[in-house]
Amino acid sequence: MKRFLNSTAMVLALGLGAAQAQVLQVAVDGSPAGLDPHIVTAFTSFQIVNGTLYEGLTAIDKDLRVTPALAASWNVSPDGKTYTFKLVSGATFHDGKPVEAADVVSSFNRVLSKDIASPNASRLAAMEKAEAPDAGTVVVTMKEASAPFLATLAAIAIVPRGLETNKDALQRQPNGTGPFKFKEWQPNGFIELEKHAGYWNKAKPKLDGVKFNIIPESATRQVGIASGQYAMLPNIDAATALQIKGKPGVNIAETLELAYTLVGMNVSKPPFDNAKVREALNYALNRQEIVQAALFGAGVPGGPLSPALKDWALDTKEFACYQHSPAKAQELLKAAGVATPVTLTLLVLPRQDIRDIAQVVQAQLNKAGFKVELKIPELGQFVQDWRNSNFDAFVSTNAGSPDPDDTFFRTFKTGGSTNVFKYSNADLDKLLDSARAEGNAATRKASYNKVQAMLACEGPISFLTYGQLFTAMRANVTGFDIIANRSLVNLGNTAIQR
Amino acid sequence: MRFLRQRFVDLLVVMFGVSILTFLMIRLIPGDAVAIMLGANTEVTPERIAELRARLGLDQPMLVQYLQWMRDVLAGNLGLSIWTKRPVIEEIAAHMWPTIQLTLLSLALGAGLAVPLGVAMARLRGKGWDAALQVGSVVGLTIPSFWLGIMMILALTAFAPGLQVLGYVPFSEDPAGNLVRLVLPAIALALPILANLARLVRSAMLDALQQDYIRTARAKGVPEGSILFKHALRNALIPFVTSAGIMTGYLLGGAIVVEQVFAIPGLGRLILGAIAERNYPLVQATILVITFTFVLVNFVVDLLYAAIDPRVRL
Amino acid sequence: MATASRHKPPLLLLFAGGGVALLVLVALFAPVIAPYDPLAQSIIARLKGPSAAHWLGTDQFGRDLLSRILHGLRASLAISAAAVAIALAIGGTIGLAAAYYRGWTERILMRLMDILFAFPVMLLAIGIIAMLGPGSGPTAFAIATVYTPIFARLLRGPALVITESDYVSGAKAIGASDFRILFRHVLPNLASVVLVQTSLLLSAAILVEASLSFLGLGTQPPAPSLGTMLSEGRNFLMLSPWSAIFSGFAILLLAFALNLLGDVLRDMLDPRLRGEK
Repeated sequence: MKRFLNSTAMVLALGLGAAQAQVLQVAVDGSPAGLDPHIVTAFTSFQIVNGTLYEGLTAIDKDLRVTPALAASWNVSPDGKTYTFKLVSGATFHDGKPVEAADVVSSFNRVLSKDIASPNASRLAAMEKAEAPDAGTVVVTMKEASAPFLATLAAIAIVPRGLETNKDALQRQPNGTGPFKFKEWQPNGFIELEKHAGYWNKAKPKLDGVKFNIIPESATRQVGIASGQYAMLPNIDAATALQIKGKPGVNIAETLELAYTLVGMNVSKPPFDNAKVREALNYALNRQEIVQAALFGAGVPGGPLSPALKDWALDTKEFACYQHSPAKAQELLKAAGVATPVTLTLLVLPRQDIRDIAQVVQAQLNKAGFKVELKIPELGQFVQDWRNSNFDAFVSTNAGSPDPDDTFFRTFKTGGSTNVFKYSNADLDKLLDSARAEGNAATRKASYNKVQAMLACEGPISFLTYGQLFTAMRANVTGFDIIANRSLVNLGNTAIQR
Repeated sequence: MRFLRQRFVDLLVVMFGVSILTFLMIRLIPGDAVAIMLGANTEVTPERIAELRARLGLDQPMLVQYLQWMRDVLAGNLGLSIWTKRPVIEEIAAHMWPTIQLTLLSLALGAGLAVPLGVAMARLRGKGWDAALQVGSVVGLTIPSFWLGIMMILALTAFAPGLQVLGYVPFSEDPAGNLVRLVLPAIALALPILANLARLVRSAMLDALQQDYIRTARAKGVPEGSILFKHALRNALIPFVTSAGIMTGYLLGGAIVVEQVFAIPGLGRLILGAIAERNYPLVQATILVITFTFVLVNFVVDLLYAAIDPRVRL
Repeated sequence: MATASRHKPPLLLLFAGGGVALLVLVALFAPVIAPYDPLAQSIIARLKGPSAAHWLGTDQFGRDLLSRILHGLRASLAISAAAVAIALAIGGTIGLAAAYYRGWTERILMRLMDILFAFPVMLLAIGIIAMLGPGSGPTAFAIATVYTPIFARLLRGPALVITESDYVSGAKAIGASDFRILFRHVLPNLASVVLVQTSLLLSAAILVEASLSFLGLGTQPPAPSLGTMLSEGRNFLMLSPWSAIFSGFAILLLAFALNLLGDVLRDMLDPRLRGEK
């Protein structure tokens, strides 16, 4: 019987091998809600479109450095307010039209357009205007100097001109400049990309195509990579990686993730309107245990910035409240003058790893003067409650970014677009404003050091962990580098060895 | 004829009720499509939210929204998916095929084996191993199909890690691979159906064998086989047909959890995803299509019910 | 009863009845029997197989699986029993009334039931929970709603046959009140159907509850629930399959015992068998 099964497997494997020689079979867990890079920014879409179907003027490499992409080179004026980009020559959209400066300008305008309502609009807030003096040159004028601007541009996909008010065209029929072009989408089944023969970099892509199979069940994905049915499971968590590790024919790449897990607190109402209670919560948490319990040891306790940002992040040892001490927490609660145990409902993002973290957080807080109840709604409800600040506290995950400004500014500034905590701190606001405009790296670094120190213990967010991110590949897959922001841009370099 | 017309009117009434209930249910779920669309990490002003709501027609009073929807549906237009802007009917058609395949396969497996199994079980009544058969059928009936699916996957990793029988491949791309990959989910779905129908056949047969007319037939010396198949099985058909109808609905509903476990892009997953995205037109249309099919099946079941048992005139 | 024992080995009744009784007792006394606090985490002892300290092993937080399963049985049983009781009371009344009064009463009642029944069970349940938010209360309510039309339809059929029988017509002829006819003549004749269907549906409700929890809609963590345990356990299938194996097996055991009991009872209590005396 077993021999029969094995021979069937051989026949199937051979059949697949012959018919789909150089198509990389990728298994992902979620179905994207659309493929317009300006509209749908969730990870499920991002990993399929970023750097594969679409490119920005710049790109982020595996060390999180800014590198040229559609812009071959650029100049920045001494006051930091004028950027001049030279586009690469020979770039074309998937429909064959050449990429010109007007397309770039149109893409920026599209992101800022009210009709599109792009979540990325805030990233271009510092831009005053973009112009195209000739077909190969783009000049961007800034309202004020913005240190993170070049890194930001990697997330702004360049699309064909003329779509400034068209919300629908790209959702189902992407048309970008990347090394792969869209072939077919069977919702809940798969999304297939094929080689863009006219790609400007003739060395790429090496594959004939990439097929993203949408497989919601973790065990099914694991069996799939072990059996060779799938060649890659990108961006998986520690629990999954641990189970695949050591399977014959499977390699695992890893990196520290930019995204972090957090407890967010509503400072507009009790109990977290009191800074001492927020500090107590930090003392009550044992981050090392959370890493062990929920991330299987594959991660690090998190401060306000990811340790992956080596140039910016402070060591968590510098934050007093990161010393786990339930006694100190109880003390602070007493000093805060609140009735103990402090009862609160913890809103939980409905994702397995976050649910796990929430259960550990709950157990830890309950031992240190809190009485926590979990509420795990369905995603739509979570987003609604989150947006309306309808929570005592929540456990969730945030995408980090390669530049500290990007997250800090919108999250902690008074009235910031994702400041759902209703946090307001005039000193912090001032620091954020000056750091954003600061051209001197050392001065900027000093400002962000202060920001981190201010936020770590009494801020509206208790930063929990930065997890290790994994990608599992069959041993014959080469040239792929994992990136901390979950981009699969390196599929352009990837090949399958026979 | 009058009876048929009356049933048809009832059918319309039910569909009307279903459309209202569906419409209300999806709108009463907290968090609308705009909230999902904007998601986390965005620059949102109340004006922008209002704009988006207007674009999706969500700012209209519910009654107006309902009437507009009904008008379109009656004109044969089920609308566009909020997210992909594809016609909803296309999305449903794409997800229908795997579900139909899986449904037919499971039903054929379950119902096909149920009759001989049930008859055999009824025949063996009173014998020593009757109890064992009964216990076995109850196990089959109550085994959770998603657990069975997971256990199959576990067994697969332990005994045949190289076998590629999971995931989904379209029939058009690879017919053999497509069927191979449907075998495990079909078994997981068919086992409870088989046990359920087999035990119904058995119960009804036992019932029938107690009836006076069967005893009379026996006393008259009608051969046992003939009694079994002509008289007793006829009685067994009523609950069998009813249950098979219910089962078809259960399968058409997507056997949601099993589709999830085995990554089959069927109607169950379509609807779970659509609810999560608050994709109103898609949810409404999918439920409408599923329930309409189900109501039709029930209609046919009712007719059969009347045809088989003349005592029940509907 | 004497006739029943002739047809059914008492051993099976003992087996099924004893099984259900045992499970109900275990559920009732779960807090007393459970060797550990079902919520107590111990990261060092996580994802372990069965051992002397943890008979069924531990889950991803090192929580004792046996203790969690005992408490999970309790939750499953409580939710399902509440749901089926509500569905039986409402659906049964509707089914009887429809069969007895016929005409417009029947048409209106049964069309209402048909509307609910037109939705596949899981679909309607998911929709209702999506409206109410996840949790054990909404789960019980959702299951009760989807089973109401099933009870109504299941009871209407046999009730029709009985109300059309000669002796109910006889009772009507001698002027018995509707209430008396329904509860003295029709209902007792349906007892076996009710018992059998209640046991079947209770068993099915256990499975629906488990499916909903499996999808993350039922009992909320960290409270132990069999479906949630299975759902969490499947993420660690290759590391330690015990959580998935045992929680699923517990669901099966509960559903199985209830179903078997109904099956055995059916043979014992069938009115036609009783009528033979």
